[in-house]
Formats: sequence, structure tokens, C-alpha cells
Amino acid sequence: MDLALLLQRVFDALFNSAIYSSLALALVIIFRSTGLLNFAQGEMATFSAYIAFVLLAGAVPGVTGGGLASWLGAPLATPLAIGAAVAVGIAVGAATERVLIRPLRDAPELALVNVTIGILLALNSLMGQWWGTGPRVFPPFFPSAPGDHFEVAGARLRFSTVGAWLVLFALLALLALLLRFTKSGLAFRAVSIDPESAALNGIRVGPTLMHGWALAAGLGAIAANMSANSVLLEPTMMVRVLVYAFAAATLGGLDSPKGALIGGVVVGLSQTLIPAYVPFIGFELSVLPALVAMVAVLIVRPAGLFGTQRIERV
Amino acid sequence: MPLRRVNRRRIGPLSWTAAGLLGVWLVAMPWISSVTELRQNTQIVVMVLAVLGVNVATGYGGMISLGHGVFVAVGAFAAAYAADDLSLPWAVSIVAGAGFAGAVGALVGLPALRIKGIHLALVTLGLAIVFQPLAKRVPAFSGGVSGRAVGAELAPPSWFGTSRWAEGLYRYLICVAVVALAMWLTHNIINSRPGRAMRAVRDNDTAAAVYGIRLVTSRVSTFALSASLAGLAGALGIVLVPFTSQESYPFQESLVLYATAVLGGLGSIWGSVLGVAIREVFSLAGATLGRISGFGPLGEFLRLLDEEQFVFGLLLVLLTFVFPRGLIGMLDRRRD
Repeated sequence: MDLALLLQRVFDALFNSAIYSSLALALVIIFRSTGLLNFAQGEMATFSAYIAFVLLAGAVPGVTGGGLASWLGAPLATPLAIGAAVAVGIAVGAATERVLIRPLRDAPELALVNVTIGILLALNSLMGQWWGTGPRVFPPFFPSAPGDHFEVAGARLRFSTVGAWLVLFALLALLALLLRFTKSGLAFRAVSIDPESAALNGIRVGPTLMHGWALAAGLGAIAANMSANSVLLEPTMMVRVLVYAFAAATLGGLDSPKGALIGGVVVGLSQTLIPAYVPFIGFELSVLPALVAMVAVLIVRPAGLFGTQRIERV
Repeated sequence: MPLRRVNRRRIGPLSWTAAGLLGVWLVAMPWISSVTELRQNTQIVVMVLAVLGVNVATGYGGMISLGHGVFVAVGAFAAAYAADDLSLPWAVSIVAGAGFAGAVGALVGLPALRIKGIHLALVTLGLAIVFQPLAKRVPAFSGGVSGRAVGAELAPPSWFGTSRWAEGLYRYLICVAVVALAMWLTHNIINSRPGRAMRAVRDNDTAAAVYGIRLVTSRVSTFALSASLAGLAGALGIVLVPFTSQESYPFQESLVLYATAVLGGLGSIWGSVLGVAIREVFSLAGATLGRISGFGPLGEFLRLLDEEQFVFGLLLVLLTFVFPRGLIGMLDRRRD
């Protein structure tokens, strides 16, 4: 086995790992507080990336059409547009909770599945209709010219990989600070543990959950904007990513942020390494091992590696 | 015997009207359709089975399935393989398609013993997403990237006529008969002992187990039944259009099937028929509205209504709020 090649593959995988970890974290935030899997998380994130695309159209070579940012120049316009797009993503997340999820608080699980699947279908189709189903060129989030990399033991560690991890760690730190030191963060933790007691203690459960949705949507939006350059922007861009993220979250434990992070790394690595060493599973089918792993974890240890074991009273 | 009376209910005037309309459509449709329209309408009739498959798993079995498009595809591939590569007669091929899909369904149903509710929804969605790349990897079965054409054709006997339209009518009659038969069988299964067990497991599996229902048998056979219904739809699809490809089964297709089942009404066989009917009404209305040009942003929105996926996504969300029991809930006033 060629060690330099292996290292290169690991480096390549780490970028995806960061994306999966972010999205898995978004899923975990929502699952922890509401016990709901947000199937629309990926499409909501993609929508945000399209917003950035629209704002940027014209500023970046390869992106056609005139755009708001054409007079700002690419270096300044890209972060600005992505920032605005993430803000839109956050607003969409909060609005979704307020309008579509909160009224269904006491509804059966099936109703929530229906709503999130409905959003997935509608958004996916809407994006295809508005912006075309074909892939679009999206500006890089990080410098990614051919020379933008570090040399480590003969393998190339790209700036985008390092950048994605820096962003992820910054987000994690921010999240930790929010949860630990703000009133809203404390409320969120209380609601996650027991919504009923939290409500009895005067915490307004609804708005608190809305914050959670906003946070999750923001994480997803950042992940989508970071990866839209490498996977090319298209309506179904996050569909496979969502499966990986779900696998990561399931592996780590659906209610464990730490698990989401580690799960993301494991899934990202396996996605690159398994197809490289198992010929039957090419690049396209690399989503199969993730699905198999997810099923296996759900069967053998539904709580995942770091999740809390659920004890149900019958 | 008294159990049967519980399931009896009065049929309201709205239901009679709907049934009458359906009957008139079924009889009159072939005579006012061109060859192409006849084939398309037959495909619509066949779709009832796929939706019914979702309904059996989700509505009666309580196992949310977002991946039934996979079983439709497996049924189509298996029937094509049987009819073409093995040169089996069509009747055998169709049954083989449904049977093979049922076997695959039983395999998928095995994890459903431990994975429940929203987690099962997740796994079946994953299955729907994985299916396309997986199918491309087994070209002998699925025809790979480009799909497979089926050489064998289901031709009517000579006395039936040899025109294209007569051929279409013959296939239409066969499909209607098979769909009706499958619906009748499903109805009987659901109202018999295994069907009652199925619903007991859905409502409370622990209680059901205490009453002596074998959860393994019940869940796996429910999933197998639901998958074989979907597979039957796929196999009949091959009879109508002698070509199949993984291209026709993106994950969105599975989700639209699910949406159709929910829309019509879960836990009711006629709900699935209603779902398919509504789907066609909406697609006709959408196509008409989508042709209207101009009107700026409103025109953009009207064009979106031509997108089945968009309409179904929207309806799925709306319906959850307005008619939580699906549209059949309007016809059927029973509260349970």
C-alpha cells in the first residue's frame, strides 16, 4: 500500500468530513430538542447556496449573468454574498419552525415526516424550476487555485480542507459559548432535556426551539456554501450529503454533538477510502456503505456511539 | 362472525358519486382515447398498485416507507428478466416480478423489526437514494446506465383485433383485471387474521406481542406484501412500455408515491385509488395552468404548478394541517 497515496486520500476525505460533521450537527441539534429528523435539512441548505449564487452571478468567471456583486469584485463579494445567503438560510429555518413545525407539536410522528418530506420535494422542485436542474459553477469559499495547498509528507493538504475545519471549529466554539453562557442557550439545554419541566419553569418552549432551528439551518447553509464549489451547485447537491450526514449522526448517536463530529470524520474517511480499495464500490456507489453502516448501527446499537440509551416505559 | 359487522359501514352519497365516476371513466376511457393516451391512462391505473403498496406498509403496517419506487423498479427489472432472458410466458413473468419484489421487500422488512418510526423513514429514504447508483452496477439485471429494452411483447389473440388500439385495449383490460384482483386480495388479507394482526402491531406492538402475535412474521410479511404490490405495478409497467431503466426511478419518484398514498388517505384501499385520481387531476390542472404565459411572478408560480414534485410537496404540507387523515377522510365520516 502506497503510504503517500493513502495520506493524500485521507486529506481529500477530511474536507468532506467537515461538511458531513456540520450537517450532522445541524441534524443533531434538531433531533435533540424535538426528536425529529429534518429530512429537508439538505434542501434548505442548498436553497441558501442558490441565494449566494444569485447574489454573486457575474462576479466570478464562469458564472453567467449580471449580479448585485459585479461592481464589488469577487474577493469582497464572495464572503458578503455567502454571509447574506446564510442569513437567509437562518431566516428560512426559523420560519419553518414557527409556521410548519410548531403547530404540529402534539401531532403524531407521521405528520412531521410528511411536512419535512413535503418541504424537501417542494424546495427541490422549486430550485430546479428557478435555477435549472443542471450543475452550476459556484465560487470557491476558500482559495483553491492549483497551488493553494500545504505539502505534508509528500501529500497535498488543500487550503479549503484546512479552512473547512477552521470554520467548523469556530462554529463549534461559538455553539458551545452560546449554549453555556447565554440565557437562550441555557433555555435550549433545558428544553432539550425536558420540554415540560422547562415550560413549567417559565421557559417559552416555542421560541427556544425556533432558535434551535435557526442554528441548525445556519450550520447547514454554511456547509452547503462551503461545498458548492467542489460538488457543483445543483438542486440535488445535498441529497447524498444528507445521507452521509444522517449516517454520521446515527453513528455518533443522534442526540450527541460530539458523536456528530466524530461520525462525520468516520463517514468522510470511509466514503473516500472504501471506494479506493473496494473496486465494486466506485465513487457513485460510495453512499451504499454509509447506508449499510446506518442500518447496522440502528439495529445493533440504536443510541449510536455517544448517544444516550433510551429506556422506554411501556 | 360479529367481527365482520364492525368493518361494515354505510356508504355516503359522495362515495357513490365517486365510485360511479370511476366506473364511467373505466368503461368510457378506451373509446375516447388515442393509442398513446390509452397507454398512459393504463399506466395511471397500474400506479394504484404502487401507491397501495406504500399504503399497506405505512397505513396498515405503521412502517413509514419512503422508498417504494425501489420495489416498483425491482418488479420491473425482474419481470423484464423473466420475460426476455428466460423467455417465460407473460403471466409467469408478471407474477415473478411481483414475487421477486416481495422477496426483496421481506429483506428490507427484516431491519424494520428493530428500526421503527422516523428511523425507518430515514433508512427507506436512504434506500431510495442508493438505488440508482446500485442499479447501474448490476447491468445484467437492470440494463445498467442505459436501461434494458424488452423484446417480448404481450400480443392479444388474433380474434381480438390486430390494430395498435386493440393491442392497447387488450393490455388495458388485463391491467384493470390484475389491479382489481390485487385490490380485492389486499382487502381480504387486511380484513382477515393476518390483517388484524398487522393493524394491532401498528397500534401497539408490545400489546400485540402479548396477545400472541408474532412480530417478526407480521412485520416481514406486511412489508413483503406491500413490496410485491409495488413490484406488480412495475411488472405491469413492462407490459405497457417494453423498456425500463434506473433513470425512471430517482428518489423523488419514491417520495411522490409516498405523497400520493398520504394524500389519498392511509389505511384505506380506496384512499390509494383516490390519491392516484387526485394526482392526475392536479397534473392536468397544472399542465393547463403552466401553459399560461406572462403575468410576471404569478406566471412563474403557475409554471411551478406544472411540476408534479412541487405540487405534491406543497400538498403534503397543506394536507397535514387540513386533512390529517387524507382526502378519503372527507368521504368517510367514521372517527377512529
